[in-house]
Amino acid sequence: MFPRVTAILVVHRGGDRLRRTLAAIDAQQQAPDELIVVLDDADASADELIPESASHVVRLSTRASFGEAVRAADRVLEAPADERAALWLLAEDSAPAPDALATLVATLETERSVAVAGPKLMRWDAPDRIAHLGRSITRFGRTIDLVADELDQGQHDEVSDVLGLDPAGLLVRHAVWRSLGGFDPGLPVADDALDFSLRARLAGHRVSVVPAARVDVAETGVAGQAVGRGRTARRARRIARSAELHRRLVYAPALVMPLHWLSLLPLALVRSIGLLLLKAPGAIAGEFAAALGAMFAFGRVARARGTLRRGKTVGWSAIAPLRVPPDEVRRRRRAAAEARRARARGRSEDLQFLGTGGGWVLLGSLVASVVLLPWLLAAAGVAGGALAPLSSDLGELWANAAYGWRDVGAGFVGAADPFAGILAVLGSITFWSPSYAMVLLWLIAVPAAALGAWFAASRLTERGAVRTFAAIAWVAAPPFLVAIGDGRPGAVLAHALLGWLVFAALGAATSWASAATASLLFAAVVAAAPSLTPALLLGWVVAMAVSGRAAIRYLLVPLPALALAAPLIWDQVQRGTPLGLLADAGLPVPSAVPAPGWLALGFPGGSDGAWGVVVSWLGFPWEPIWPAIGLVAPLVLLAAASVAAGRRRLRAALLALAAAAAGFATAVAAAHVSVATTGADAVAIWTGAGQSLAWFGLVIAAVVALDAMRRGAAGVGAIAWIAAVVLVLPLAASLVSGRVPVGPAAERELPAVVVAEADDDPRVATLRLAPLEDGSLRAWLEHGAGTTLDDASTLDATRRGLTDDEERLAELAGNLASRSGFDAEAAVTEFGTTFVLLAPGDESDGRRAAATAERARAALDGNAALTPVAETAFGTLWRFRDAPSPAPAAAIPADAGGSATVVWTVVQLVVLGAALLLSIPAGVGREADRRAVREPRTRRPRRPRRRTVVEVPPGAADAPTEPDAPVEEPLEPDGPAEEPDAPAEPDGPAEELDAPAEPDASDRSDPSEPEAPEAPKGDDRG
Amino acid sequence: MARRPLIGAGLRTLAAVGALAAGGVLVFAGLQAPWPEYRADAASVVVEPAESRQVRVCPGPLLELADDAAAATNATSFGSADLVTVAEPPSALVEEAPLENPANREAGSDGQAVALVAEPGEVAAGLLAGAQSQEAETETIAGLAVAACRDAVAESWLVGGSTALGRTTLVLLANPTDVAATVDLRVSGEAGAVDAPSALGIQVPPFEQRVVSLAGLAPNLASPVVHVVATGGRIAASLQQTAIDGLLPAGVDLVGATAAPAQTQHITGVLVAESGGVAVDEDHLDGDGFPVLRLFVPGDEPAEVTVGVVPGQGGAGTTIDAELIPGEVTDVPLGELRAGTYTLDVESDVPVVAAARTSVAPVPATGDTQSLGEPGDFAWFPASSPLAGEIAVAIADAASPVLHLSNPTDAPVTAILDLAGSEREVEVDAGGATSVELDGDDGAVIRDADGLHASVVYDGGRTIAAAPVEPPGPQDAPIRVFPN
Repeated sequence: MFPRVTAILVVHRGGDRLRRTLAAIDAQQQAPDELIVVLDDADASADELIPESASHVVRLSTRASFGEAVRAADRVLEAPADERAALWLLAEDSAPAPDALATLVATLETERSVAVAGPKLMRWDAPDRIAHLGRSITRFGRTIDLVADELDQGQHDEVSDVLGLDPAGLLVRHAVWRSLGGFDPGLPVADDALDFSLRARLAGHRVSVVPAARVDVAETGVAGQAVGRGRTARRARRIARSAELHRRLVYAPALVMPLHWLSLLPLALVRSIGLLLLKAPGAIAGEFAAALGAMFAFGRVARARGTLRRGKTVGWSAIAPLRVPPDEVRRRRRAAAEARRARARGRSEDLQFLGTGGGWVLLGSLVASVVLLPWLLAAAGVAGGALAPLSSDLGELWANAAYGWRDVGAGFVGAADPFAGILAVLGSITFWSPSYAMVLLWLIAVPAAALGAWFAASRLTERGAVRTFAAIAWVAAPPFLVAIGDGRPGAVLAHALLGWLVFAALGAATSWASAATASLLFAAVVAAAPSLTPALLLGWVVAMAVSGRAAIRYLLVPLPALALAAPLIWDQVQRGTPLGLLADAGLPVPSAVPAPGWLALGFPGGSDGAWGVVVSWLGFPWEPIWPAIGLVAPLVLLAAASVAAGRRRLRAALLALAAAAAGFATAVAAAHVSVATTGADAVAIWTGAGQSLAWFGLVIAAVVALDAMRRGAAGVGAIAWIAAVVLVLPLAASLVSGRVPVGPAAERELPAVVVAEADDDPRVATLRLAPLEDGSLRAWLEHGAGTTLDDASTLDATRRGLTDDEERLAELAGNLASRSGFDAEAAVTEFGTTFVLLAPGDESDGRRAAATAERARAALDGNAALTPVAETAFGTLWRFRDAPSPAPAAAIPADAGGSATVVWTVVQLVVLGAALLLSIPAGVGREADRRAVREPRTRRPRRPRRRTVVEVPPGAADAPTEPDAPVEEPLEPDGPAEEPDAPAEPDGPAEELDAPAEPDASDRSDPSEPEAPEAPKGDDRG
Repeated sequence: MARRPLIGAGLRTLAAVGALAAGGVLVFAGLQAPWPEYRADAASVVVEPAESRQVRVCPGPLLELADDAAAATNATSFGSADLVTVAEPPSALVEEAPLENPANREAGSDGQAVALVAEPGEVAAGLLAGAQSQEAETETIAGLAVAACRDAVAESWLVGGSTALGRTTLVLLANPTDVAATVDLRVSGEAGAVDAPSALGIQVPPFEQRVVSLAGLAPNLASPVVHVVATGGRIAASLQQTAIDGLLPAGVDLVGATAAPAQTQHITGVLVAESGGVAVDEDHLDGDGFPVLRLFVPGDEPAEVTVGVVPGQGGAGTTIDAELIPGEVTDVPLGELRAGTYTLDVESDVPVVAAARTSVAPVPATGDTQSLGEPGDFAWFPASSPLAGEIAVAIADAASPVLHLSNPTDAPVTAILDLAGSEREVEVDAGGATSVELDGDDGAVIRDADGLHASVVYDGGRTIAAAPVEPPGPQDAPIRVFPN
């Protein structure tokens, strides 16, 4: 006699899929004895489709999981009459082949030990492809889809015994179902059938897959996981992880369960790092949600463990052979990587670095760098202008980059400049002598800038001559060479990085790695030249606005910069000096505000590019500015011509010109603002950063124009770059001949006596006095061997008014410099001062300075508390007789920053670390991997339509150049850009109208997708 | 269809020109528009130096070099000086700190140099004064020496003295500070700067006095000028000159520091006790028995100097023109002057230092055995600085002290003279001078006398002495400090 089979059909939506499923049930060669339809919070329209043949209709008012729905149906059934009675679990989107039930029943009948039998699940939209065929777990409990999305050529028809199955089309002995308590409520979506199969195995039954029985499944989430992209994929990922963790806690021996429990969060953290490396930042939230969910699901876990224990009759060793062995896991991983590479082949485009002259640019710029500053090769340090040594201690270097004690003057607690972070990174590169990092920066600034411009141009043009033009014109930028000569580390760094920033930003539309790299470069540029922040933020907003679906990647670009600057922003705004955020990072060093003409030509800091000398030397009666204007003209004309480069290039041209305008505006604004002070001087913002940006805009616009020329681009470009080079030739000459502030660093910053003392007592404090031109006195404190570049704080330099410490220091200094009854010991007790160093009244500072110097010298000489030590190159040095060593008052207070240091540092490290991990290229094809499987064919016709809206810069869309950035990647699986495809919006893009109600179906509607070797759930990362 | 590309090219050119024009407008607007400007101000503090203690150093008893050659550089005292101290208010606590001179073996009995010290808050800056007097009557030294106690300074000019035959000059260096002073003496004479390495780096320990014989540094110098520069502690420097003509002492005097180099120098109360002198254009000066003005140009430029000699009691003055060679000391005879008091005005085109000397000639012994002859005396009148604020003046215990006030300014000044509680007004005409006899007074306080010069002159008939009233070195001015 044929056993009694009760089909349980779970319905959510109804519609065409339900119709086809019902028709398929009707068409069974061997019909089920009973059909119970569970309307699981179903749409009203589904009601009408329920056939008369249904013996029961169970209505659930709230959406229940597949397992719960089946359980509800089971409740209306009587106890199974015999061992043979079976339940057939179907969902509205699982249409069985006509012989499916008969084949499954035959398996149960012929093999008595088999308690659960599952069909071969075929893809709904591609019935010749296997969607799933049995599941297993690895030794560590991770689910493995044994077969996923393969063309069915009968290659798996020999499979029978498996560890687990998928829920759709499952035929299970009714008695076993009841004795095992059905699906675990703790596994509502994923792994429910797998877990059930596993428990059946542990209860001594067999679980078999029956390849001869075929069921088409659409996987819309009624039974098992829904597949999809974007939000659906993220959700599926979280659910799968939740299920895995739930099973881990349930299967674990009681003794090690606490260990598993404790490992949940750390593992989530480690896996999050992995997710960043794999460019799946969107999955991190799900990872933590899953871990936290598992951590606080004691009830579910306890119930599930009870159920497992009650039903278990054989040991875990019984199922061990059915697990996927480790070498099989490795084999699958290798296969997946191979498939990724195969897919990525032909897409990782070649920059043709050597082929288009990149090698020559590198070589030439290296030579230029050495020719410009030949002494750098032998220098141990570089000094002059705003340059100073870095702290020789790496710990100090990094402490100066973190919120906390700002060791400038008497010191205070406050935010670090983001620039200090850059210095810490640079100094750590040359860890044996951090100060050497500045030499290195000066050496490689020219090649770095040249290559940056070359790469940025490579996004816009394939022609080597034009790329070379960009590199040369960018290196010959006046603000760059003036900054090198005047010792402006921030401006030099910003100039060297600007090209790279644009290169990475243009690639960000297609790659997380590029976006993260851009974000780090953005942070570096903003830190090095805070005055560029408004212009760069404007650029960011524009990029967001014109990049359409790639906006999500641009969205995060300013985040690392924000994290770095957040404490500073907070401190400055709270203090009421928000303008101070624009102050140049590094030591505050006054510079001349450029004259208007030179400002427009790109010469910062009052430089005339040495044209004044040249013109007077040549004896021409011209104003020096005229030859300079004439030499800038070719570049400007070329840049203006970019708007005539055709419609296709118009956007790039306009953006480049807008950048030039923004840069110029920045420079003009900088020329009108001084926010920092040092001594009696206001420090004007260095206009060079803005001028660099303006020059960059001109260069890029010129690249656009040259790229559009069919003939003669090399010649026209050569005219422009030769003119630019001639423009800076006098500057270069003054660099070569050493008539610039920058030069090899002196051996020390303070007299040898102080430096020697600093060896023993790194906190030794020196009160420095310098007479100023108007007869006033500048007084400041230096600790150890002198103030370092990383000690500098814009928070200090931009303070309005004086702190109490500064007022007391002024009182002290004024009295020390006068015949006075003041108790000089206050210097020791309040500031821990050991030395007093009086700068010589410079001849150039005038008589009043000399008089002040003389007065101070007489007063200090006559002060019984001081003993003269030496006349040094830095001035006259005195020492306090009774200064203790180390002086308690000079010590940095323990735990100066308190918990704020910890909080800010952790926040900054997390953000920067995430950006850093995300910026590491994940490997060939990795980023494309997650979407390639479901890449809908329908996307192709969509692209041109999108192109008119999505303002992907032409270089990014047409000639992507980053090896790891796949070309065709406008669809972001994790981003909200995918939302048109999400089920929430059925009326999606027009090209999906063929399946309006089931947008995800379109994923599978591409029969010609040639190889998609990996199913979404088979992601083999552990 | 050839028009299409043509139109396209035209449009493109137009676009490029438009872009260029837009850029031009942008640059013009950026450079020429009156954008608001923001310049942060550097914060600073004007520091008023805390008041320091007031110190006046009195040079101590007169010294004489030992006769025996072995100890020829050791100067010992031969009597003690009378010290008068004035402080306003009189109740102020003034400490007398001895400044030891280890070389003076007689210090125990004769006393030594003294620093009058008033701690901050006891007296105001100018209201502490001291004066010492001593009348010597030994076989070799005779005459009246009066010195005002002076503030210690880092740099001072001593104009006076001589190391010619019969003249002995000692440089007295007293350090009233608690820091050792290193003193450099740079001696110039009529033939230019004297190379004296041993005059450099003289150590004066805190609260001690050192005595240097000028003859040891610059022998046979008729007209020395000593520039005293102290580093470390500050120094109160003075000169002690004694003279002997043949067997008769020709006088003794203590010479305080003169006013710092300036283009105008003013000497008030130059007492010419005996009429006479040497003509201004006398080329060959012999001896020192005539009124003379000693001038020195510290700089490198030659000086054109005009000296106005104005009789104190009215009458027409004379004017002397002189050219000074830089680095060389010039003694300018003041011509034949009648006995009386004179005011000297020195105008120069470059800074100079100046001091005047007058003398009472010794009366040689006649053949009469009863007569041993009468010793002479001389006095130096250093240039003084204009008075400022309230100034206390101590009157030494010597014969007929007279306070001379002169007014080099263009406006008459009415000063108030406070003599032990009784005030009197003294009016000094513009360019004029007034004298007030102060017999019987210990001291006075001069008020409202800004711009005047003052000097106390003692005329004992055949003994003369003078002590200019020098306001204390100004407290250091407030200074602006940028503490960042």
